[in-house]
Amino acid sequence: MNAKQSVRLLNGLTYAALTGVALIFLLPILWIVRTSFTTKAVAYQIPPKWFVEPTLDNYRAIFSDNPFGRYFMNSMVVSLVSTFIAVILGAMAAYWIARRVKGGNFLRIAILGTQMLPPIVMVIPIFMMIKKLDLLDSWVALIVTYLSFSLPYMIWLLIGFFEGIPKDLDEACEIDGCTKMQAFTRVVLPLAAPGIMAAGILSFLMAWNEFLFALVLTGTGARTLPVAIANMETQQGVMIAQLCAATVIIILPVVFLSLFIQKYLVNGMTMGSVK
Amino acid sequence: MFSVKRKQFLIFFVPSLIVLAVTVIYPLVYSLIMSFTNASLKKQGFGEFIGLDNYIKAFKDTYFIDSGWNTIVFTVIVVTLEFLFGLAVALLLNRIKRGKKIFFTIIIVPMLITPVAVGLIWRLLLHPDLGIVNYLLGLIGVEGQAWLGDAKLAMMTVVLVDIWHQLPFMILLLLAGLVSLPGEPYEAATIDGAGRFQTFLHVTLPLMKETIVVAVLFRVITAIKTYDLIYVLTKGGPGTTTEVISYHIYKQAYTFLNTGYSSAMSYLLLIVIMLISTLFVRVSRGKPQPR
Repeated sequence: MNAKQSVRLLNGLTYAALTGVALIFLLPILWIVRTSFTTKAVAYQIPPKWFVEPTLDNYRAIFSDNPFGRYFMNSMVVSLVSTFIAVILGAMAAYWIARRVKGGNFLRIAILGTQMLPPIVMVIPIFMMIKKLDLLDSWVALIVTYLSFSLPYMIWLLIGFFEGIPKDLDEACEIDGCTKMQAFTRVVLPLAAPGIMAAGILSFLMAWNEFLFALVLTGTGARTLPVAIANMETQQGVMIAQLCAATVIIILPVVFLSLFIQKYLVNGMTMGSVK
Repeated sequence: MFSVKRKQFLIFFVPSLIVLAVTVIYPLVYSLIMSFTNASLKKQGFGEFIGLDNYIKAFKDTYFIDSGWNTIVFTVIVVTLEFLFGLAVALLLNRIKRGKKIFFTIIIVPMLITPVAVGLIWRLLLHPDLGIVNYLLGLIGVEGQAWLGDAKLAMMTVVLVDIWHQLPFMILLLLAGLVSLPGEPYEAATIDGAGRFQTFLHVTLPLMKETIVVAVLFRVITAIKTYDLIYVLTKGGPGTTTEVISYHIYKQAYTFLNTGYSSAMSYLLLIVIMLISTLFVRVSRGKPQPR
């Protein structure tokens, strides 16, 4: 076998292996999507029916039988509002740190450190706090709680983005007579907009996927989707088809949003620690 | 009154500082104080101060130690396997040009899925009677298993599900490292007549050292914190075979209502994580990289 043939063989094997890996990741998801469109009877069938006539009944059912619409709304409101606050406060704080605080400083390390905190450490005291304030099972409770991870996360990511913008630009603006705030809103923010957008999406996804705090802090009123689907199963036995529909609904926004931020994923998910 | 610098500090940083003081610092202090008391959800307030009793109790508590052991086993196995498979897939992806983007897009999907949903997906697929996995195994003559219900299999099953969920993360990190490697050392290796495996061993691995350490440490930290997946897949069962530390602490707090004791245990977990994080910060130099 000559060199050219061996390279071709190696390429063939590479593609075969990658296809295998892709299928392992994709097929389970496709199976859930398929089951979400089957009737109740078909969903339980083993051996499975491979070709099914799709029905939207399960989607209709979860929104009418369950207060699923409300849970969806809860998730949306809590994730959006906490992200919105985190973006605004985080951008200002990050800008101040990027321009005024040196690298390796305690403040920076502390902000990174909050990302390492195990949620289980935070959830007990936060539960006691929220209970004392009589705010259990409310949007406010979740929004404030989610700031405990999304705000430092946002600050940390945005420090990196702001440091990528040359100081000279906002300093030039200040020499021309604008205040620090004007330099920030007119010069730095527009330049950092794509990065802020990506950081916002990442923080939204974090809140959207959050489970432990929502489990402990909510009852039926402010319950979010992850808690709702985890409970759906225990409450109603295994309603396979409906559960699949609910699962599809919870992962759809995530997959859709992530398509926009692919190039930011690595930095976003590792706190910028991998170049 | 205020200097310009002081004013900037007030406007830009103080709002965040207040939010962090309320949502992070206050709970941490509250929890630390609670860990020295016999606080319980059954009674009002802090309870009585009992010194280090909760911490001493934790070290004698076989359930706590078992859950710590389960966490170590889980973490070591998932991180090792995810690293090995992750490196393999990243190397494969790095070899190809055509179709790279499609493969990449498909491969990263699982890591984006809500952990609770990942648990539910696999509960359904692995259901002993109604799941597709046992059916497919039956077709090739392998007997179906009670994947999550069998004490001997449950931990392995949880590990496999976690790998499905988190492997993409490892691939993503390692691929990012591979892509940014400089070209010259490879040219030199080719001129020296090094084979593929030698090049990998003596060029790629040393150059990737920092990325690998960061990726592994990062995953160790997140694996130790695993909670959602266990909640949905096994609730720590059967028995306590898959009860990891976060789940154990949760149970102590919300089933047995021992908030003082569970705060002490959570602080022990915090200390371990902070030690690993310090290592992580050292390696990644605690400095964000502008992208």
